[in-house]
Amino acid sequence: MSPIDYLQFVLAPQILNGLTLGVAVVLVALGLTIIFGMLDVINMSHGEFYAVGAYAALALGAAGIGFWFLLVLVPILMIPLGMAAERLLIRPVFDSKDRHVTTLLVTFGLGLIVEDVLKVIFGANTQRPPTPIPGATEWFGILVPNYRLFLLAVGAAIIGGVAYVVYRTRLGAMVRAAAFDRHMAASLGVPVSIVYAGTFAFGVALAGLAGVLLAPIYSVFPTMGRDFILLAFSVVIVGGMGSIWGCVFAGLLLTQVQALASLVISPIWTDPIVFGTMVVFLMVRPQGLFGRLGHA
Amino acid sequence: MLTIRGLHSHYGLSHIIQGIDLDARPGEVIGIFGRNGVGKTTLLKTIAGWVTASDGTVMLGEHGLCGLSPDRICHAGVGFVPEDRRIFPGLTVEENLSLGLLQVRGRPKQDECRAIDAIYNRFPRLGERRHQLGTTLSGGEQQMLAMARVMVGEPRLVLIDEPSEGLAPMIVAEVFAIVRELRNRGAIVLLVEQNVHQALSVADRFHVVERGKIVFSGEAGVEADRTRLMQLIAV
Repeated sequence: MSPIDYLQFVLAPQILNGLTLGVAVVLVALGLTIIFGMLDVINMSHGEFYAVGAYAALALGAAGIGFWFLLVLVPILMIPLGMAAERLLIRPVFDSKDRHVTTLLVTFGLGLIVEDVLKVIFGANTQRPPTPIPGATEWFGILVPNYRLFLLAVGAAIIGGVAYVVYRTRLGAMVRAAAFDRHMAASLGVPVSIVYAGTFAFGVALAGLAGVLLAPIYSVFPTMGRDFILLAFSVVIVGGMGSIWGCVFAGLLLTQVQALASLVISPIWTDPIVFGTMVVFLMVRPQGLFGRLGHA
Repeated sequence: MLTIRGLHSHYGLSHIIQGIDLDARPGEVIGIFGRNGVGKTTLLKTIAGWVTASDGTVMLGEHGLCGLSPDRICHAGVGFVPEDRRIFPGLTVEENLSLGLLQVRGRPKQDECRAIDAIYNRFPRLGERRHQLGTTLSGGEQQMLAMARVMVGEPRLVLIDEPSEGLAPMIVAEVFAIVRELRNRGAIVLLVEQNVHQALSVADRFHVVERGKIVFSGEAGVEADRTRLMQLIAV
């Protein structure tokens, strides 16, 4: 195979696959990192909220609601779910001494319950919603599925929108201030408990939106959250817990490493490379590449 | 009018504030003096809602502050400049200032812009550095920012904890000039300060705190009261 053919038929499709996976992981990790950066809570049920979003889209889609409307409806439906989880499970233990362990275990338990509830309601079989945008576009001789192009564009828009709100608006300044120093933020008039609940709900809504967007590509099954959440945790840790740009950078980097490594080594070894990178970062640079939300 | 009656607060099992009574009128600066660890900072934190009062009342005009969350205490008209300034490191000077605007709900955008512009006119250095991260400022500039952040609101009571700590004498003079401005605007200022001589230059009255109680109260302009103050706080 000539170098040009290798580039066109092996390398470029692999990079594109990595990019699609990268955007997908970033969409899932975005909510995770915002919740961590803001509340200092590791939300172990985040993957299950992603699954709930996908199943909600599946069920509502089967009831006749169109995909485009679902992109708006499902995140809106996820907001009260997130608010309820924050109020009933996080808030009561938030000020306890063992907050980190307690919230981790509580959200882990919630994730297990949600997963089982999904199994009971929808069954354990894998389901695949129809692709909302069929067909493919040829780019330099490579066929790229239209829905993946749509995902890349929408993913970039969502990431840009979230970054704009967090880094360029007063609401974002309130979130970052409360993430760094909740007492001082409150003494300036920031309604910290509302900001906390809102941030948690927003993170959950983002997970739900990711579920709607990714269901047509990665299918829907009760344990779908677990597959993504491990990669999403790696992204959050490497990028810097709470950093949006860190999340984007690490998400795209790690998935490209995974995609390109599989060209030269057995794909079995790509996951250990990603998780090994996470472990190295935890040992050497625990604050990640970009540091935490609200910190300089 | 600020009225504090029988105020108590605890850190865990430690009884820090042990029944403080205090009154202040609008436009008064009240110095709170005492040795380290007697509860001066805790008194301010209790009024600001950072520490929950275990007993007693704090009234600012018609508003009872005890039991309220710090954000609601802020909306009731209380501004707090804590000891370590607490500038948000991930926020620019302007973003830090803009949070101070939250104290007044429903203020029109134009009024907010005017309030920020007034601060930049008053503190030109902050205006020059509006897009810099707050924690890249010098210690003195950070103190100005911490006080300006409260001034962009409309506080009726300002709690200021050790504003001169670690600052050059010129900056200290500027800090106390700001305290006078707050007084001239009609705000009540509770000032905790180790630099007693400087604090007395702006204070109208003062209280000496020992083991969480007020043990002496005096007028800043009365020589006998100042002499007694010095005897009480001399190490």
